[in-house]
Amino acid sequence: MRWESFSPFLPLVLKSRLTYRVAKLGLRCFGRRMSSYQLAAAKGVMSELADAYSGRKPVIFTSAFVPTEIVYGLGAVPYLPEMWSGFAAAFGVSERGIDESEAKGYSQDLCSFHRCHLGLEKLGLLPRPSAIIVSSHLCDGGRRSLYAHSVSIGCPFYVIDVPYALTDSSVRWLSLQVERICEDISRRIPGLALDGMSRAIRNSNRAREVYLDVCRLRRNQPAPWSGSEALNYVFAFLSAWGSEWLIELYENLANVLKHRIEESTYPVPQERLRILWLNLKPYYKSPLFEYLERWGVSVAFEEYSYLYWPEMDERRWAEGIAIKMLSNFGWGPIQRRLDAIWNMVNDYAVDGVVQFDQWGCRQSNGGARVLADFLRRKGIPFLELDGDGVDPRNGSLAQALTRLQAFVEVMCARQ
Amino acid sequence: MITVGIDSGSTATKVAVVSGGKVLAAVKAGTGTDPALTASLCLDEALKRCGLSRKDVDSIVTTGYGRDLIPDRKKSVTEITCHARGAFQTVPGARTVVDIGGQDSKVIRLDATGLVLDFAMNDKCAAGTGRFLEVMAGRLGLDLGDFEREWKAAREASKISNTCTVFAESEVVSLISQGASRSSVVRGLCDAIASRIASLGRRIGIEPPVVLTGGVSLNGGVRRSLERILGTEVVVPPMSVFMGAYGAALIAANS
Repeated sequence: MRWESFSPFLPLVLKSRLTYRVAKLGLRCFGRRMSSYQLAAAKGVMSELADAYSGRKPVIFTSAFVPTEIVYGLGAVPYLPEMWSGFAAAFGVSERGIDESEAKGYSQDLCSFHRCHLGLEKLGLLPRPSAIIVSSHLCDGGRRSLYAHSVSIGCPFYVIDVPYALTDSSVRWLSLQVERICEDISRRIPGLALDGMSRAIRNSNRAREVYLDVCRLRRNQPAPWSGSEALNYVFAFLSAWGSEWLIELYENLANVLKHRIEESTYPVPQERLRILWLNLKPYYKSPLFEYLERWGVSVAFEEYSYLYWPEMDERRWAEGIAIKMLSNFGWGPIQRRLDAIWNMVNDYAVDGVVQFDQWGCRQSNGGARVLADFLRRKGIPFLELDGDGVDPRNGSLAQALTRLQAFVEVMCARQ
Repeated sequence: MITVGIDSGSTATKVAVVSGGKVLAAVKAGTGTDPALTASLCLDEALKRCGLSRKDVDSIVTTGYGRDLIPDRKKSVTEITCHARGAFQTVPGARTVVDIGGQDSKVIRLDATGLVLDFAMNDKCAAGTGRFLEVMAGRLGLDLGDFEREWKAAREASKISNTCTVFAESEVVSLISQGASRSSVVRGLCDAIASRIASLGRRIGIEPPVVLTGGVSLNGGVRRSLERILGTEVVVPPMSVFMGAYGAALIAANS
């Protein structure tokens, strides 16, 4: 169906309670065809979407690296517009969002994830937030584009200013900010309170514990989980810490992976090569990963699935959140990212590393040269693959496939 | 053993029939809109030239952007591996291969045994490719074969600032209208392509001997600019245009 024919109704469909009743019924009927972890994720997302679009619970927009524990702790629904740009690409509506934002004057130089969600707001496809929280670390475009939402929607906008280094004083400064922002939100927005913080931290710690099992299982050779699907689940890794459904998702995922290893049912049974995937991937329909699997290549692990923070103390929740933010290996000196990537290379025994250079993503692409030199010195083949995660018009599949296949040939020749 | 390499490029299709490492026949034609048909016609023509038929062919390997569209292939391999294989066979000891085709360009680094160490490809536009030169030659009223003569005649190179083909074309028009000589513009264009290839190559490191392959390898102007900018001799081996197809045929013999 063409976008133009259903687009006027989509905002209404998203806001209608009937939509979520039908979706719930659909999951009951067809959920058996899904894996248990897929079902857990679908139920979790569906329930939050229903709360967000119906206005049953306050919605807080956050940028990608704000710990969502604070949003769950306040009793709100977290909504990451950048992540929903990825969903829009998967549902084939990202181009419309991007066109809309460009028509409003946003530069094509801006990351397409941000252009897309700015356009989705214009199309009436985002829920209405009660507040927006962004962080200063990693993604500058996210902070500014979310500010644009706060201006056009008219809601409070909070910036968490993350210091560059992890020190005792930076933890104190950051935890004070986190505490004050949360207190302010709880005072200003009816229905929100700080009561749920301990519970959110407890949930997060439990999910972390189970997720570490998932990571251990993913070290198996052949890889038990398809990298393409794992990259889809980055949405949960970014947006659901503090929720109960994330625990359920990871528990079920761990069980499914255990079962696959016991039964030797792998996505790439004849695994010849393993790669580590950095940054995101194309979220629109793209055959890149099918080709990789056809060539016997598993994406063994992804940068955005790397758990980098320690367990948090639920009694000192703000400090835990501060340490989590400051532990992000993408922030601070680039050596932190190199060390983290080197850990992933070794933990998941990969033969090569691919960095997807998302259009406009300075925080990742800016360090690519240093990373390339680092990996080459260590003898690990490295490929920078230019592309666009949400705009299918901004790239050539043939060029991407040639690069990927040549990279596979280089790795094979080394074996 | 008779093997065939088919390089189905974005602009031209090249077929090489090879036996014992020697090229028995090589045929080139415009790819057009039906890569499989063009490849088939080129193959028939090449086989006819060396008095063979399809039944005599032991194995076919395809390469180029249309590599997966050609039927009867044993396998498809990228141009990067094929050009490296062909160039190393032709110029033993080659450490860098520069392949400038119709719509993209690549720099390939080889180790001492001829294995690909690393590669870099040009970005999404036509800058630094054969298409760029074709457009400029058309605007200057020249054949591509005239570029070397013009390059030699130039006292200096005009500065071409734009890498975008469309913008560079208007820059060329503007230079001519300002009185720049045609030869200085040609040299400026060759320098622009060579600079772009050099920066592409520096990403992975350029080590001599450097071998130039692909359609643009026959353009003496670009070769001379490359030699000047890289500060090293650039070898254009015989059959440089067919290097991808030749490498594919060699791979077919080994697989």
